[in-house]
Amino acid sequence: MDVFKGIKKFIEDRMAGGGAKTPFPASVVFERFREVLNCNNKALEIIADLGEKLSGDYIFDKQYINDSMKTLEEAVLQSVHALNSLSSGRYQELYAVYDRLTSRLHTVMAGREDRTGPIILDLKDITRPHAVIVGGKNSHLAQIAQNLGLKVPDGFVITTRAYHDLVDHNGLRRDVDAIEAMMDDPDVDVDAIEPLRIKLETSIAAAKPPPDLISLIGERLDEMKVRLGQDLMLAVRSSAQEEDMDFSFAGQFHTVLNVPADPLAVFDAYRSVAASLFGRRAIRYRLRVFPGEGHMSIAAGCYRMVDSKISGIVYTVDPSEPGGDTMMIVSVWGQGEAVVEGRASADTFYVKKGANPLLVRQKIAVKETGLYLKQGGGLETRPVPDALKDAPSLTVEQLEKLSIQAMQLENYYRRPQDIEWAIDGKGDICILQSRPLVVADTMAQQGSLAKALQKYELIVADTGAVAQQGIGAGLVYIVETVSDLDRFPEGAVLVSRRDSSQFIRVMHKTAAIVTEVGTPVSHMSTLCRELQIPCLVNVNGILSLVQNGMEVTVDAEDRRIYKGRVPELLAFKTSTNLNIAAAKEFRILKRLLNTVSSLNLVDPLMDNFVPEACETYHDILRFVHEKAVGELVEMGRDERRLLKDYWARPLDFPIPVGILVIDMGGGVSADVTGDKVPFSAITSIPFKTILEGLMFPGVWHTRAANIGFGDLVTSIVNVPTDALCGQYSGHNIAIITNDYLNLSLRFGYHFNIIDVYCSDRARDNHIYFRFLGGATDITKRSRRARLIAIILEAFGFNVESKGDIVIARSGNMPKVEIVRTLNILGRLVGFTRQLDVQMDSDEQVDRYAEAFLMGDYEIVNRR
Amino acid sequence: MVRTDDDNKRLRLLVIDDEPIVGRRLQQVFTKMGFDVETYTNPVAAMETMDRHPFDIVVTDLKMEGLDGMAVLERVKKKNPDTKVVIITGYAQLDTASEAFRRGVFDFIAKPFRLDELKRVIIRAMEDARLSKEERS
Repeated sequence: MDVFKGIKKFIEDRMAGGGAKTPFPASVVFERFREVLNCNNKALEIIADLGEKLSGDYIFDKQYINDSMKTLEEAVLQSVHALNSLSSGRYQELYAVYDRLTSRLHTVMAGREDRTGPIILDLKDITRPHAVIVGGKNSHLAQIAQNLGLKVPDGFVITTRAYHDLVDHNGLRRDVDAIEAMMDDPDVDVDAIEPLRIKLETSIAAAKPPPDLISLIGERLDEMKVRLGQDLMLAVRSSAQEEDMDFSFAGQFHTVLNVPADPLAVFDAYRSVAASLFGRRAIRYRLRVFPGEGHMSIAAGCYRMVDSKISGIVYTVDPSEPGGDTMMIVSVWGQGEAVVEGRASADTFYVKKGANPLLVRQKIAVKETGLYLKQGGGLETRPVPDALKDAPSLTVEQLEKLSIQAMQLENYYRRPQDIEWAIDGKGDICILQSRPLVVADTMAQQGSLAKALQKYELIVADTGAVAQQGIGAGLVYIVETVSDLDRFPEGAVLVSRRDSSQFIRVMHKTAAIVTEVGTPVSHMSTLCRELQIPCLVNVNGILSLVQNGMEVTVDAEDRRIYKGRVPELLAFKTSTNLNIAAAKEFRILKRLLNTVSSLNLVDPLMDNFVPEACETYHDILRFVHEKAVGELVEMGRDERRLLKDYWARPLDFPIPVGILVIDMGGGVSADVTGDKVPFSAITSIPFKTILEGLMFPGVWHTRAANIGFGDLVTSIVNVPTDALCGQYSGHNIAIITNDYLNLSLRFGYHFNIIDVYCSDRARDNHIYFRFLGGATDITKRSRRARLIAIILEAFGFNVESKGDIVIARSGNMPKVEIVRTLNILGRLVGFTRQLDVQMDSDEQVDRYAEAFLMGDYEIVNRR
Repeated sequence: MVRTDDDNKRLRLLVIDDEPIVGRRLQQVFTKMGFDVETYTNPVAAMETMDRHPFDIVVTDLKMEGLDGMAVLERVKKKNPDTKVVIITGYAQLDTASEAFRRGVFDFIAKPFRLDELKRVIIRAMEDARLSKEERS
């Protein structure tokens, strides 16, 4: 009879609707929902695939990137289409978002990103995505200051955008395009590009400033003077895109020291730095290390000139023993330029690395002169006072402090570093630069490495999967709980049963990560790739093979873990002048993934869950999925769409819930012929599971069980007016397929909606739960809502509650987890069915929540 | 070990791919394994080197300017039938594959591939080279 009422209402609405859009029938909605899932899946698979390629364990080329990106773009667009066709075009604004992101991706693929963004950036404002416009060296300094808390000179960066403005403003674009085109050929003749190179070098050295540049520099200088004093002087240092990433470019570009803080003087220094991009040596070096990569640009760092009392270099490994654990520190009185250029005699200290660095050897030179800042600009040589000439330029305390900072830098960048440092008048250590140290390894070159490795004891070989390639050695530190991370030692090898994105907290001081279970596509693996942490996952039995404090060497290239330190491997690591992550394809892929894979739109309950807030393709996909689920939920509430096309049959169930079943495919076994659907014939996994939860012993408590189906109908008729907002008209309806459930369930005065997708693919799966209403006053109803919220949160739901409304979401988990959660949800629905009357104090909320979580469902009857 | 049996010399491996990343990466991996590796982005230059000094294994891209992978295969086989040739390609095509096998390619591998996959192919190629040498002697 209810069915007839529904149909009648449907017809009435149609008559009264006058031009209102007819909603799609359920079958169409469901079909389109599946299309959304398909498109999303296709896109997410490509994203995962692209991410995995960054591990270093693959050979791929530009073609692969281009093809994958093309398919990805299409899949994301399809997904946006699918949502719009599902929702009658309600999310048109997604197209603009898609266009914005897609054109950004095209800029990255064309290698043109360095032409956009700010002209000048303060060092403190530089974040990861800026790396491409501030260059490697500046980006590193910003990271060192922000992430390691080490002192670096205050300053700002004139970005690559400014370089491109300079080129355009001085009419040099055609020449730049021409030389880049020539250098795009990996086999270009060096002499053929010489005339153009010279022309560009001289033109840029004499270039006119583009509009705004001088005034922008002036503003920064004024701000710096306020912070640092009127007598401020600057160092203007080059920072090319690739500099400090892979090949050091050491000494290839200009640096101008002790420049007066005057905008014109700084611009003058800047253009000489920019011109050095086309220096003879720099171009030859580039052709050798980056063959076939024509695109180039340069940024410049403008830093406070440190009036150094002592300065020098740290090599975090002794180059004569690249596999060893001794670092080498070179220092002089005054400025370090002379050391860098090898012009002055300097002290050399050898320090053994470890928690307590130990000075093992030193060579004190006779230091006749030192370089010092000259009044008005530039440097000058001055004699060193007699008392200091043959005194060690560093004290043991200074050596210790310096060594500790150097080890931090080595751990942070995960390979040996070549560090420039200075100690200022206040005695503070200032890091001027940190770049990879590359030392020739004759052993690997001679092919004897493989043989040398045979003498080391293997803990595991050829097990596990590479999440990120690399080599790392250190003491094992086993992480069992998140709190173990609080005591994580500098430079240790993290070993754990499963992977966790929580490890990010210690990744800056981790030599390598090894886990028993896990996959190369997990969040942790992605983080390892971002931060270049050597990482093996799925290494069977590793926890039984290592103990805390045991020294190991992890080779996450050949999937081997050695007992102890393997100097030959560490030497090999120091000698590989190809950091794969610095290769062009990797850099492009990594930058593409910035706009593709990270997820900013995490929480649908937050205000920023809107199309405009989508910063990546992944955000779009997340948004589309959430809204598509929303459409399904709506559909379930709109019985007009359902009763029209489907045969709704009452469920025959031991508990009188009064549900009409609408099977859209595979939800009920085919041999049911009668008017009723027996519980035993339900083949819809989510529906069956919820019902099992309702039937769980004690859940459907006896008092409530006395209310029969008729009573339920009575209560429907007597719905209080404040609840009559449209949501309450309808039946208890279950729309099902074998892996889907949309359940509208009313008990007395409150209303549940449960929408579940439960397939074999974890990331398709979702649970949406909505609870509303009650028969008692709003205070009691709200208490019950809070009780439900507490319980749902305990089961990992993302919960929003306001007054007597609770909306909870969960998902992206395997079928077995969905099933487990649904069973609990079934129990919860039964348990809380009439609880609002008992919620007479706030304490009751906690008491009942506790009881439910302990499985004590009988508490309801004990009152 | 990656050595020929008789004279304890290192096996020579040639990598030809017009995308520099491939050669640089394979150089790193196979040098670590103990090979004597030479890499070229220009197939013509690679062939000139081969004419002077043959290689035990040649890994070549299929689609290249100047000389494609099939032509490289033919040149190598003509010069030294014992050399094992592995073709890597981003455009795996069945007809090319069967044609390549007819002309004596050792194996085909499609980009993108895991380094392990190529390592396995190379190890098989080494064993195969040793077997055919034993058969002859």
